[in-house]
Amino acid sequence: MEEGTFVGWLKLPGADVTVGEPLFELEGEKATQEIESLDAGELYIPPDAPKPGSTIPVGALLGYLLAPGEPLPSGDAPKWVAPTQDIVESAPEIHLAVESAAPTGTTPVASPRAKHVANELGVDWTELSGTGRDGRIREADVRAAMPTVVPAISGDRVLLTPRRKAIAERLRTSVHRTIPVTLTTGANAAGIVGLRDQFKATKAALVPAFTDIVACLVAKVLARHPQLAVRWDPQQSTLIAVPEEQYHIGIAVDTPDGLLVPIVRNVARTALLQIAKDSKSLIERARHGKLSIAEMQAGVLTISNLGSYGIDGFTPIINYPEIAVLGLGAVRREAVVSDDDRIVPGLRMTLSLTFDHAAIDGAPAAAFLQDIAAAIENAAAILLGA
Amino acid sequence: MSLALYRTMQVIRQTEEELARCHQRGLIHGACHTYVGQEAIATGVCAHLTKADSVFSTHRGHGHALAKGMPPRELMAELFGRSTGCSQGRGGSMHIFSPEIGMMGTSGIVAPCILQACGGGYTSMLLKTGAVGVAFFGDGAVNNGAFHEGLNMASIWKLPVLFVCENNQYATEVPSSYASGNPSVASRGAAYGIPGIEVDGNDVLEIHRLAGEAIARARAGDGPTLLECKTYRTRAHAEGMGDFTYRTREEVEQWKHRCPIVRLRTTITAIPLAGMDAAAVTTHLDAIDKEVATLVQEGRAFAEASPVPEPSTATQHVYAPPKPITTAAKSASTRTITFSQATLEALSEEMAVNPGIFVMGEGIGKRGGNFVTTKGLYDLYGPERLCDTPICERGFVGLACGAAMTGTRPVIDFMFVDFVLDGFAEIVNQIAKMQYMSSGRLKMPVLLRGCIGIGHSAATHHSGSYYGMFGQVPGLRVVVPSSAEDAKGLLKHALRCDDPVLFLEHREILQTKGPVPDGDYEIEFGKARIVREGRHVTVVALARMVHQTLSVCEELERDGISVELVDPRTVSPLDTATILQSVHKTGRLLIVDEPPGQYGFSAEIAARVVDEGFNDLDAPIRRVTGAFCPTPYSPSLETVVVPQPADIAQAIRDLMRE
Repeated sequence: MEEGTFVGWLKLPGADVTVGEPLFELEGEKATQEIESLDAGELYIPPDAPKPGSTIPVGALLGYLLAPGEPLPSGDAPKWVAPTQDIVESAPEIHLAVESAAPTGTTPVASPRAKHVANELGVDWTELSGTGRDGRIREADVRAAMPTVVPAISGDRVLLTPRRKAIAERLRTSVHRTIPVTLTTGANAAGIVGLRDQFKATKAALVPAFTDIVACLVAKVLARHPQLAVRWDPQQSTLIAVPEEQYHIGIAVDTPDGLLVPIVRNVARTALLQIAKDSKSLIERARHGKLSIAEMQAGVLTISNLGSYGIDGFTPIINYPEIAVLGLGAVRREAVVSDDDRIVPGLRMTLSLTFDHAAIDGAPAAAFLQDIAAAIENAAAILLGA
Repeated sequence: MSLALYRTMQVIRQTEEELARCHQRGLIHGACHTYVGQEAIATGVCAHLTKADSVFSTHRGHGHALAKGMPPRELMAELFGRSTGCSQGRGGSMHIFSPEIGMMGTSGIVAPCILQACGGGYTSMLLKTGAVGVAFFGDGAVNNGAFHEGLNMASIWKLPVLFVCENNQYATEVPSSYASGNPSVASRGAAYGIPGIEVDGNDVLEIHRLAGEAIARARAGDGPTLLECKTYRTRAHAEGMGDFTYRTREEVEQWKHRCPIVRLRTTITAIPLAGMDAAAVTTHLDAIDKEVATLVQEGRAFAEASPVPEPSTATQHVYAPPKPITTAAKSASTRTITFSQATLEALSEEMAVNPGIFVMGEGIGKRGGNFVTTKGLYDLYGPERLCDTPICERGFVGLACGAAMTGTRPVIDFMFVDFVLDGFAEIVNQIAKMQYMSSGRLKMPVLLRGCIGIGHSAATHHSGSYYGMFGQVPGLRVVVPSSAEDAKGLLKHALRCDDPVLFLEHREILQTKGPVPDGDYEIEFGKARIVREGRHVTVVALARMVHQTLSVCEELERDGISVELVDPRTVSPLDTATILQSVHKTGRLLIVDEPPGQYGFSAEIAARVVDEGFNDLDAPIRRVTGAFCPTPYSPSLETVVVPQPADIAQAIRDLMRE
């Protein structure tokens, strides 16, 4: 291969690129392929770099990955010069230069604020021309580049709390890094409702919450579906199997400061009442802002219950690097057609399973959800070890 | 009495010898200056003191602490760096504090104790407690300015103070015979008009007798005494240091034979006490020796078993715990008065309710202050609370430290900040660090106030600001108000808080008028004021520079540049949050500051905003500061070293183009 068509970047300018992440798309003779980054750093695309759609020779300079604190490249920076034949032969297929050099007068520069705003709005500031001193790109230049359909923001800005920023960052990461697909199905909730009624009738000090019971059931079902019991490794290059004694399950909790997901430990090997105790304590501490970071890490799967808001099906977002999240809907009293064709009152709920299609295909995920529905219908038997 | 003196000397001797052993075993992490050979002096003097009397000591202060009543275990634990030590591990050998028993501390600096003892005496005189202040210091202190300033102040105000010079003949290694033009310390008393008495510093009974007379004289209001005790330390300056480069083994041996403890023992056994023959007295003294040995061993065991302080507490006690503001909300009704009138009101109102407040300075008595800071107060509160001073800034700043340590609230009116630089070490080394060194057991309510700022062709000794320098010192509060309303509220807060406050008033704005709320109100430190709201550029300024900046804001507004002006009001603590919020809004920051920019207030703000608000910056941070140069006299020169309104306007316009 001597040249190819540069299809486009898969990362925004200024993005933090990690080793192994797909960086740009290149169309060669055989196919279009995503080119993974061999290095890590902040992506800097010089203004005179090849534009999407252009044909580029092997060895052309597309951009820089800058180490933290490394100044913008400079001097005689990126000139797109077709290399000589000699260089082509000795050059690797794709060359992504990582180097440090001093800034040049011709390289566009943006203020920190402009970069920050560009990142927020998804604007590629390297395409802009700046109105500041020596052409520095300023916040106003970035905002002016936004499509006019975006209504002008009026009124006071709402300052984001660090918590809100962290939540936003986490959810964005999930959306960027996973291919979410949501499956829904119905389940007969009478068994669980009955089980909780029995706890109440015995005047038990602690009645396990609906979510606690489902968590226990999910752990049991997960043992039969090991391909769901996995997490992405940090580079997202492999999946790591989670052993049964590490079936830690996250419970999404709405707190005054925003969404938190404390993790209930070792659910597969822990008795229901202990799970109920653990989750109660975690939820209380979550609501009072007292969770430690460790208490929110290393889950295998997360459960999000919106039943109390009257929601049925929804599309929960995966708690990355987990690969699946189970949404619980409201338990509703409904007319059900019985096996002998009579209309009888029943207790039904909707289950929503979002899974990462990059990690697992649809059929095994569907089978998993089907087994969860069955386990909910036969909760008592499953909990007793069936 | 003789037996009690004997026991105290034994406690000191045996504790010191045990500490020397512990030092050799690596249990003491820092310096260890022992008092071996000099025990008679602390013992003879402190026998006359109660807890209400205050002792201010030097770097060789173990003996003073023990003689004042500190249990050996607290001293040993401190030297071992344990949380049960008398200074809870923040002090060590040279910072021994036990204010509960009147042990006001030892010091690593030679001679400030002389000034602080004057402060203890001033408190006693003002509050009429009958207590005395005692300074112990070596021959090395008597050629230091603090000795001169302290003895003179004690003399002119007849302070109840005893100055005890322990002349052990060497200031570390320098012989006093070499360092003193007049080798007799006692004879110097005459130079200040006070009694100066020389005594054999190894004769505890004679020291006890003479100290008793001097302290009685002090308590009776007859003024201070200088007692020179000729003695010798028979161990090295500090444990582990070589001792024979500057003195001979023979000399040390000779003095060991003049041991004050052996001497008292011989005296007591030669003259049988009531009901006891010589043998019985010997038995009794042996029993004391044994009992003290047990006490010291228990002290060491206690110290070794004690926990080290929790590392997370390292920065505790830099400041006193903040007091909640108790005054009601500011009144909506106002009067228009000058900056000076506002501070005078604040001082007068606080003096009326707090009899512990007194003001010291040059010309602040009957005259009412060079800048009318105390006008009319002399007639209300009298000469002791409005005390004119000699021109000895180090002296009366050091006195203020000792006064605050013993329970009053001194206000030092230093006229120009340039003058108080003579007392800089007393502020930085003593006043600022006292709360920390004592682990928060001492409070340091000292107000240091006076003028800053360039103008009136005052030239370079009447125009400094220096708040950046003071802002670097942990333990100080630094207040720089710009309006009459702020000045009154902040001065009130300064007069109620327990921390030392530098209250700096720009001379060129003293006569500016502004609305001041009626009634009592207070403004907390560390809360900036948004002087003017704006959208495009944040300007941070203090004092006169607030006024200079305001004068160009309307003109800029007409050109479409909207300026937000933030006045931090206090340099330390600094309200970074308000500045960051403003920069978040505007994206641009200009700092306008009168003193030179190098290493200053403006640099600190720029650094903080880059650290914490980098993503909010749409342009580089700019500064307009004074020239890096002393203040010149001629108006043509003076004008150009200070930021002028045109400079500020130009900088803002430039910033908008960045």
